[in-house]
Amino acid sequence: MMLARVTRPDVLLPLTAVGLTAIAFAMVPVYTDTTLTTFDVYNTLQIFARLGLVALALGITMIAGEFDLSVVGTYALGGMLTVQAGQESWAHGVLAAVGAGAAIGLVQGCVIAGLRLPSMPVTLATYIALLGLTSALSGGLTKTYSNPEVTLWVDQVVLTYFSPRSLVTLGLFVLAAVILAGTRWGRELRAIGGDRRASRVAGVRVNRLLVGTFVVSGALSALGGSLLSFSLGSANPDPGVQPLILAAAAALLGGVSLAGGRGSPLGLLGGILAVALLAEIATVAAFPGYVAQLFYAGLLGVIVIVDAPDLHHTVTRLRARLRPPGGGGTRPLSQETP
Amino acid sequence: MNALSAPAAPPRQRDGLRHRPRLAVDAVVVAGVLAVVAVGLSTDRFVTVANAKAIITSASLVGIAALGLTLIMIGGSAVSLAISQSVAAIGMIFLSAQSLGLIPALVIAVVVGALITGLQGAVVGYAAANPVVLTIAASFAIAGLATGISGGVSVAPSGLGYDHLNATPGGVALSVYVLLVLALSLEWVLRRTAFGRSLYMVGENRVAARAAGMPVGRTTTVAWLAAGALFAVTAVFTAAFNTSANVNLGGTLTFDAIAAVLAGGTPISGGRGSALRTLAGALLVSAVSDILLLRGYSTGVQVMVKGLIVLAVVVLVHLRTRESHA
Repeated sequence: MMLARVTRPDVLLPLTAVGLTAIAFAMVPVYTDTTLTTFDVYNTLQIFARLGLVALALGITMIAGEFDLSVVGTYALGGMLTVQAGQESWAHGVLAAVGAGAAIGLVQGCVIAGLRLPSMPVTLATYIALLGLTSALSGGLTKTYSNPEVTLWVDQVVLTYFSPRSLVTLGLFVLAAVILAGTRWGRELRAIGGDRRASRVAGVRVNRLLVGTFVVSGALSALGGSLLSFSLGSANPDPGVQPLILAAAAALLGGVSLAGGRGSPLGLLGGILAVALLAEIATVAAFPGYVAQLFYAGLLGVIVIVDAPDLHHTVTRLRARLRPPGGGGTRPLSQETP
Repeated sequence: MNALSAPAAPPRQRDGLRHRPRLAVDAVVVAGVLAVVAVGLSTDRFVTVANAKAIITSASLVGIAALGLTLIMIGGSAVSLAISQSVAAIGMIFLSAQSLGLIPALVIAVVVGALITGLQGAVVGYAAANPVVLTIAASFAIAGLATGISGGVSVAPSGLGYDHLNATPGGVALSVYVLLVLALSLEWVLRRTAFGRSLYMVGENRVAARAAGMPVGRTTTVAWLAAGALFAVTAVFTAAFNTSANVNLGGTLTFDAIAAVLAGGTPISGGRGSALRTLAGALLVSAVSDILLLRGYSTGVQVMVKGLIVLAVVVLVHLRTRESHA
């Protein structure tokens, strides 16, 4: 029974990913001439805090069978609003960001659920519009946050390895895990991702749940942007595609499928921790920027290809075509080996 | 978007009711285009020959890339988000190959462009990988490679042959003629060739196309190869115009091309659309950008308006096609 649980892909994948990256991380002194300190663990968790909420936001929409491309747009807007509305009080900044993120999610959720539109084109349009809006708000420039106490507070070292920022992120992951495991929302979320029509027939309030998912996704990514702005002491209008790449890689490594209906917040936590460990290894090993970039792109590319639904089918067909008629293509080879 | 479709429908009792949303969608589209025209006419310096040339020149660069994206979208593989990065990389290759002469440099650019995008198409076509996530990864990889190879600096042309591409026969940029020729040829390919027909079928229903024994993987790969070649044509004109190329050469081209294809009314779900629609969409998006520029709005506002146009068109096209399927 326990074994059957572990071999399920949404448990096995994140466990393997965290396991392998943790081993690679622990062996850093072997293949570089640096030693690991507690600061490296702290730094890994800082990378986790930077990307975690975006990955969680994207991941829960993927569990519901959707794909919220706009998370990085909301992330950028949240960061910018925090800096512009929160100069006097950090709470105003966070409220503005989370409120805007939730409102964006509400509009997107209503359009997607109400009109039964696929989420990819809608969130792509919102992504473009939000990047434009963020750039228009700041005049295309990076804005500084002139409240150094907040910046120092969110990144202070707590309990050797943590910072308030990484603790908040970790806390939200645990909260999401508890809510999705303990209430029927978790099951319903997977149900609408697996078979939308069947769950509608079974009495799941699909539209309401979808709108809720997009609201949560918007609020989480905006909060992620807020925390990042506090930490950097500035907001950048164009975050580029790196956050989206790492969040998508984390979600897929976390056992979520692009087809929907699979995954859990704890799996997502495993996925994003694996990505954070890889990013820290890249930092410690001092790879040039473009090498790290190629590495992340390759990682996501490989995962997407492995996740592709027709890959198995094509490989089988190719193998059948390559094998000489009459079968037994591999047998002569195995006979030759002594 | 054509008013003739309503009377052509079979006479049925609920006809009037059935077509009301469809007419409403058409009315919204007409009102939107009229609003753009009205705002344009009331904008200072919009109705001048110089401005008209500026609009069609910018529409030609976006339009050629958008024609490539049209193939991808009709074939049912949604979008490529790697257009800007491909264009930047090809532009760099084109300028550094100038010492070989203009024609060899063009050939190299188009072949490399077709291969870069065609490789992604093969993965999408044969394995049904998610095109959006795959091309996000590809965009990052292409930008990374381009940065690594160029050392992060701008590439200067190694010869002067590229300047022929900046010619303006009859006072209009060469790229405008190229766009028209490519749009008409592509329209012909889509309507009259076996490849065109199978592309529509694959886009309409991939599973049915495969069940009918159609070469789904090959059709998709060919569409992406052609798309890559068209991205490369945009790249050589953009690089020639800028006379230098770095990783940011593509600018917001990915978003511009998506906006142009969708604004033409091609649905993102595939199986429908045409090259001429994209031509119209590219003109519309360029005109809107031009109006915003003349009225002094920043790049941010222009990008935001493009996003909102895409959102509106996605919703309208969905409402209209859902209605005609019902």
